[in-house]
Amino acid sequence: MMDHEAYRRALLADPSSDDAELRRHREACPECRAYAESLLRFESRLERALKLNFAAPAARLRPGRLALAASVLLALLAGAVWLAAPRASLAAAVVAHVVHEPQSWVPQTPVADPKLAAVLRDAHMHLNGEAGAVSYAASCEFRGHIVPHLVVQTAEGPVTVMVLVHETAAQEVQFDEHGYRGIIVPVAGHGSIALLMRSSDARMNDVEEVAARVREAIAWSN
Amino acid sequence: MKDRFGGNQRRARFQALCQSLRPDLLRFAFWLSRDRALAEDVVQETMLRAWKAQDSLLDEAAAKPWFLTIIRREFARTFERKRLPAVDIDELIRSEEPILAAAEESDLAEMRAAIFKLPDEYREPLVLQVLMGYSTAEIARELGLSGPAVLTRLFRARRQLRALCGEDTAQDPAE
Repeated sequence: MMDHEAYRRALLADPSSDDAELRRHREACPECRAYAESLLRFESRLERALKLNFAAPAARLRPGRLALAASVLLALLAGAVWLAAPRASLAAAVVAHVVHEPQSWVPQTPVADPKLAAVLRDAHMHLNGEAGAVSYAASCEFRGHIVPHLVVQTAEGPVTVMVLVHETAAQEVQFDEHGYRGIIVPVAGHGSIALLMRSSDARMNDVEEVAARVREAIAWSN
Repeated sequence: MKDRFGGNQRRARFQALCQSLRPDLLRFAFWLSRDRALAEDVVQETMLRAWKAQDSLLDEAAAKPWFLTIIRREFARTFERKRLPAVDIDELIRSEEPILAAAEESDLAEMRAAIFKLPDEYREPLVLQVLMGYSTAEIARELGLSGPAVLTRLFRARRQLRALCGEDTAQDPAE
């Protein structure tokens, strides 16, 4: 049987660990459960602290970096730098974001309430349990804004939900690309919501049904 | 990302890939260097190297670790080229104050200053785990360490960070 010290040591190394022995100890020990909850709050703050917003340009140019600046200029001339790229479509940007966070699909267990609340707080929203259990919650950089990125476990399979309060959509958009089927739905006064599922898990009808359910489960606080 | 596409399409996909990953790459580089100007230089150089070596990226889903590895090598080159002077952490924090300040939550600025104070060998695995979502095995592979060594560093990183942030550490395990 794991002791308190071993439990806390393992938790400090990896607070989101889903190890069965850690789970058993947490369930049996109220003191360590309280410790874990406190650490998850700390972890949520740590995650937000690390996600710096680099919207403003750097204030200074480092002296002696002219060679680098020249190579960047060369790249610009060659058209190989992203800055000159046209703004990708919203659906493509959502898919690109999800493709590059493959770890978001992995967890199966519900995210701790304090962590979920911290992620949703910036979007001024709550999600009731009818949508399904939230197995992943992160505050992600998306097109210059920090947005909630959730994975909700539904009967149809896991679904990614991105709450895009800064992205208005004139109408509902469905997409099916790079192995993901999804939908972007406008939300009056709150931008839009993007939902997508892996094509292997769902048909477009499933996505539409899940989207309707998730929308009903969202309560806005402003 | 082998060339199943035409040149223009290939370039557009690479640009979109860079655009989607750049914020996280810049954050990673910043936490590694604690210097925004240097981080931006390194990310720019990384993008150029990645563009030249894009044929070696066979799976787009693995792009983020691929870029992170290039960033780490680029930093190593920077440190090889010129030996950087010993740093005064308080001066570093002052010079990066605009980016460390968090308008939304005042305690985040305090946390960011505390992260600056962590030794490199603790800060890097912590950033890989929390910001980049790396597993212990992935961190071990990237940093050339054993799994238990990574866990020890992560344990010490959080322990020190909690103390620096004034958290109640009475129930934290001893070394």
